[in-house]
Amino acid sequence: MALLELHNVSKSFVGLMANQDISLSIDPGEIVGLIGPNGAGKTTLFNCIAGFYPPTGGRIVFDDEDITGLPPERICFKGIARTFQIVRTFKDMTTLENVMVGAFCRTHSAARARKKAEEILKFAGLTEMRDQVSAGLTLAGKKRLEIAKALATDPKLIMLDEAMAGLNLSETRQAVELVKKIRDKGLTVLLVEHVMEVVMPISDRVVVLDYGVKIAEDTPANIVKNEKVIRAYLGEGAYAKSQ
Amino acid sequence: MKKTQYLGLAIAGIAAVAYPHIFRLPFPHHLMIMVFIYATLGLAWNLIGGYAGQVSLGHAVYFGLGAYTSTLLLMKWGINPWLGLCAGVVVSCLVALLVGYPCFKLGGHYFAIATIAVGEMVQQSWLNWDWAGSAIGLNLPILEEGLKNFEFHSSKLPYYYLGLVMVGIALLASYAVDRSKIGYYFRAIKGDQDAARSLGISHTRYKAYAMVLSAALTSIAGTFYAQYVLFIDPDSVFPMMLSINMCLIATLGGLGTIWGPLIGAMILIPISEFTRIQMGGGGTGIDIMVYGLLIIIICLYQPRGIIGMFKLFRK
Repeated sequence: MALLELHNVSKSFVGLMANQDISLSIDPGEIVGLIGPNGAGKTTLFNCIAGFYPPTGGRIVFDDEDITGLPPERICFKGIARTFQIVRTFKDMTTLENVMVGAFCRTHSAARARKKAEEILKFAGLTEMRDQVSAGLTLAGKKRLEIAKALATDPKLIMLDEAMAGLNLSETRQAVELVKKIRDKGLTVLLVEHVMEVVMPISDRVVVLDYGVKIAEDTPANIVKNEKVIRAYLGEGAYAKSQ
Repeated sequence: MKKTQYLGLAIAGIAAVAYPHIFRLPFPHHLMIMVFIYATLGLAWNLIGGYAGQVSLGHAVYFGLGAYTSTLLLMKWGINPWLGLCAGVVVSCLVALLVGYPCFKLGGHYFAIATIAVGEMVQQSWLNWDWAGSAIGLNLPILEEGLKNFEFHSSKLPYYYLGLVMVGIALLASYAVDRSKIGYYFRAIKGDQDAARSLGISHTRYKAYAMVLSAALTSIAGTFYAQYVLFIDPDSVFPMMLSINMCLIATLGGLGTIWGPLIGAMILIPISEFTRIQMGGGGTGIDIMVYGLLIIIICLYQPRGIIGMFKLFRK
């Protein structure tokens, strides 16, 4: 029983087909990686699922419910949370307050939101920064905070848009650990990355986009051998040499 | 709250109650009544402009609606001003929703421009509305003085204490917003609207809450003003300068803080009243020039307002 199903989702901007007939399904408890070269349409697809862009065609079904075209706030309420590629924390608020905003999605009580936010800060390893204004966090801290905010809304599916881009090696490793912890909590993860080295070891399945079209979907082990993927990433010449 | 904060609050409360008995002349009473009116306006504006970050420059509309609703009800049908006050709140809230809803779709500067347009339209229409007194204005009927009629003629003292209660209500409302879900949501919308939406916040709904709360408090101050001055005309209750003053007071004191607008009013209103007295009629505008200077200084050196300065000193 799939948690999220995309049926022929398309999104075109004036004169540009950003996503074309993309179908995929994600099962509960999976980590699915969504990869592709720059400009492949990963973020657009993300925005379609999260409700920021209404798709121009196709259907999106989440938890047996058609959510195509719903606004972002409703989609969050249904149980899909997302992070942004360029971190968008609430700059003037402290780390704790940022996460509380997420927690208020499921409660009206400030005391309960605070308690929930504190648990999540602990889970995400941010407890030490709880009273720091979020504008003062390091990039790694802000990326973690993005994830914490999303987690606080109690999602079933969490979509991470390049949550590791720009991090150094040890920070990346910690972020990967966090993603695994999130999966172990029973959440489903959709991960957008264009760094292959990050996606491959943690994903159960990888979906590859190129020029707005899904060109492959397979286990990480098979994806790296897929000829279409090698062509898309390394170009025709490199593919020919590898043969 | 910490013990020192309770202590500070108690001292401020005692000082506010004792003030009119220490300074017994009518002018100091009048001065503080004006401070209370403007502090309430600043606090009201702070909810939408400071917390939710939506700069409205048409808030005089709600002040005028509060003043005119209670006054017209009293003059045309003899309805008690206290009921008029409630009716004014209802009218202002409805107008706030009607005006606000289409405007909320507009981002940033366009929201401010739309509110200016609405403010000007209302003032111009009112100037030509004969039934409501047009440009000549309305003199409120003199009734027997007392709390029941919301009119006092022998002393300003009752207005002083009613004004104090009004500021107290506005402060309590701000405190409640600051500590609760809607306050967090207002600040999140101000911080980053798209990020807020992705966390389940309906931006139009919460902006509407901010607008309605703000309009209700503004309207109460409008009725209070009408009952205090006993004369209203479109130039005194609908001018754009009033909308701008509300914004200035909140900005000077500290946007998105509970006490900021009160402090802003306590600085700006005395400046305005004293320059008016010193310069007489010829000095109109001097107070605005001083405002301008203060605002520039604050913007350059401490964009968080005077409250921000206090916090800096404490560190």
